[in-house]
Amino acid sequence: MATIARTGSWPLVWKVPLLVAGLMVGIAVMISQVVLSRLASDQENNLRQLTDAYLDGLSAAVLQPAIRADVWETFDALDRARNHYSGVDARFVVVELPDKKILASSDPTRFPVRSAVPGELARHFPEANGLVIDNDAGRAWLVRTLRVEGYSVGRILAEIDIAELLRVRRDVLLTLILANGALTVAFAAIGYWALKRMLQPLSVLSNYVEHVREGRVEPIPEGSQRKIAAEFRRLFDRFNAMARALSERETLASHLAEQEKYAVLGKLASGMAHEVSNPLGGLFNALDTLRRHGTDPSVRDSTLNLLERGLTHIRNVVRSTLVIYRLEASNHSAGAADIDDLRLLIEPEAARKNIDLDWMNEIHGKLPVAVGSVRQATLNLLINACAATPAGGVVTLRAIEENYSLMIEVGDEGPGLPAVLAKYLVAEADETTPEGNGLGLWIVRRLVADEGGSIRVDRERNAGTLISVTWPFREERILENDKDALSGEDFVHAG
Amino acid sequence: MLSRRDVMAGVAASVALSRPIVSAAAADAVTFGLNPLFLDSDIQLLSMMQTYLVKQLGRPVQLVKRRTYQEITAMLLSGQLDAAWICDDPYVQHEDQLALLAVPLYRHEPLYQTYVIVGQESKANSFDDIKGTVHAFSDPDSTSGYLVTRYLLALRHATPAEFFREFFFTYGHRNVVRAVAAGLAGSGSIDGYVWDVMSEREPELIKRTRVIYRSESLGFPPIVGLQTPRDSGLAKALSAAFMGMPSDPLGREILAMLQLDGFTQATPDLYHATQEKWLVVKAQV
Repeated sequence: MATIARTGSWPLVWKVPLLVAGLMVGIAVMISQVVLSRLASDQENNLRQLTDAYLDGLSAAVLQPAIRADVWETFDALDRARNHYSGVDARFVVVELPDKKILASSDPTRFPVRSAVPGELARHFPEANGLVIDNDAGRAWLVRTLRVEGYSVGRILAEIDIAELLRVRRDVLLTLILANGALTVAFAAIGYWALKRMLQPLSVLSNYVEHVREGRVEPIPEGSQRKIAAEFRRLFDRFNAMARALSERETLASHLAEQEKYAVLGKLASGMAHEVSNPLGGLFNALDTLRRHGTDPSVRDSTLNLLERGLTHIRNVVRSTLVIYRLEASNHSAGAADIDDLRLLIEPEAARKNIDLDWMNEIHGKLPVAVGSVRQATLNLLINACAATPAGGVVTLRAIEENYSLMIEVGDEGPGLPAVLAKYLVAEADETTPEGNGLGLWIVRRLVADEGGSIRVDRERNAGTLISVTWPFREERILENDKDALSGEDFVHAG
Repeated sequence: MLSRRDVMAGVAASVALSRPIVSAAAADAVTFGLNPLFLDSDIQLLSMMQTYLVKQLGRPVQLVKRRTYQEITAMLLSGQLDAAWICDDPYVQHEDQLALLAVPLYRHEPLYQTYVIVGQESKANSFDDIKGTVHAFSDPDSTSGYLVTRYLLALRHATPAEFFREFFFTYGHRNVVRAVAAGLAGSGSIDGYVWDVMSEREPELIKRTRVIYRSESLGFPPIVGLQTPRDSGLAKALSAAFMGMPSDPLGREILAMLQLDGFTQATPDLYHATQEKWLVVKAQV
């Protein structure tokens, strides 16, 4: 069974030629059997006819000498007949008188005149007229009774060498084996070549499918489609149509992502406006207080303090926004402050929903990761977490450095991330965007994937979701860091 | 007895000569009988001899061949042949009716020998060693192929049936060589002249035999006619034709083929030894 299972998984390019070869061998064996048995029976018939003719001729020649018991004439007839029958290779011919004594033979030294045929040899000959063939010995034995007017005047006994017939059989068998063997090998080779050629478009298609898996969606060029079977042409056309559709979808998705980015930006802008407008009322009040009671030093000092705190708050809000959208592209290291900035951005939303933020930033110094990717992905996760968590709930953030990478966990107390979205996020499913508002997740996934990071989703029923994102340190920075570490200098200060 | 018509038909059938020997209408054709000499290679020789005789006699010539000496002798004695080249044995048997026309010269003498041969493998070295073998005779009317051996047996008070395990006639000296060479016969009686000529023409065959007995020289088989020929002029002409062979190009070719030096005249005395042997054998029978 194991063998069958293995052969079952063999490539077609091998299986079909092997099948052809197997069939050919079967046919060859069958044909050889038929040919050889037919040849043997034809040879036997032929031999019977030849020996009959041979004996007819010999009988006519030796009949009269046998009647007269004429030793010389009988021998002369046998001797002259020796080379007259090319089809019959007689090893010896004996003319025996009715008293079983030899009158003459073609080999008088072996069968002297008036002796008897040795019993050992005599038992090979048939009793009556006829032919006995012994293929193993390569001999045939003939008997013909010489009759005159119904009376026997003697018998002709002959031993025929049939080695030539057997040699012809062996030659035919050898020829069959060689010819069929050559044909089998040729057919198998042609089968292999033809199939390999026929299946060649499949390997082209396989290459392009592999490109798709690697994220490079490209149609099969026209050049590769020349001289291919119609079936494969249709397959190529469908693949190209699919490739085009995928490509369009990709474009559309990135377009949508861009829009989503602006949507997030809008959300942030409105949050920022809110953050800015909150202290503005207090600031205007403070200005009014200053104008009216500015002469009182204690009132003036406390009012100026109030003004300063309000303006500082506004400045911080503005600065963090600027950092996210302007500096991130060029900045290739992230520090604790870059993550803490996000708190400023999400806090208004959390406060609005009466959600507590549990913020555990354990990053020290600068880490060699793309700050833009870290901040945008984390912000998206925080926004999603706030959206999922009901009022009075807690959203947690934990940032740690671990195994040459930065790990950020964002937890919520929502109903839990739907399985399909979770699957999508950890890239187990294909690259299609799930139905619904999963664009934020798509962005997270793409940002993380671009940096070679990974995402893990821990989900407990009705107990919220914990999403962990890991950004591995960039290699060049690691090398640099190692160098710094060797020189005993902290890379934080170096950055 | 065979009719003349039968003879002609027989000759036409048995001797496939390259040109017609004689037509049935040629009533004046000379008929000349021949015993088988080398038989298997005689065709060319016969053709040449016929051409030669036609040229010499100025008449059509019909060469007649038969399987046995006896047939030729009988035809000659009954007047069916004008002349014949016969063995010395029939000559001595019918000396009173036959006239010697010419006798061949072999090695410059009108003599030849009888050989007794055995197979190359045989251990026999003398005539007595071949006792119990299968023996091949040539012809019952042949001196060398029968009479001499028979004479040797008579001296030993034996017959062929007693002395040999088996014996048979091959009706041809060449066949005796074949029978002995093939092992069909353990020994054979043969014309020494034929064996010598064959040892040059067919050395491979002769190599398989070995001579263990050579007789004394005997008179060579002669060319004979009847004592009282119908046409005495023809007898003279035939004699002259054979005698004149060495002076004719074709005649020389024939002699060369026969390895003879020529022909000579001889008296019946030449065959005295043969006659003596025949008488001994005849007395035993």
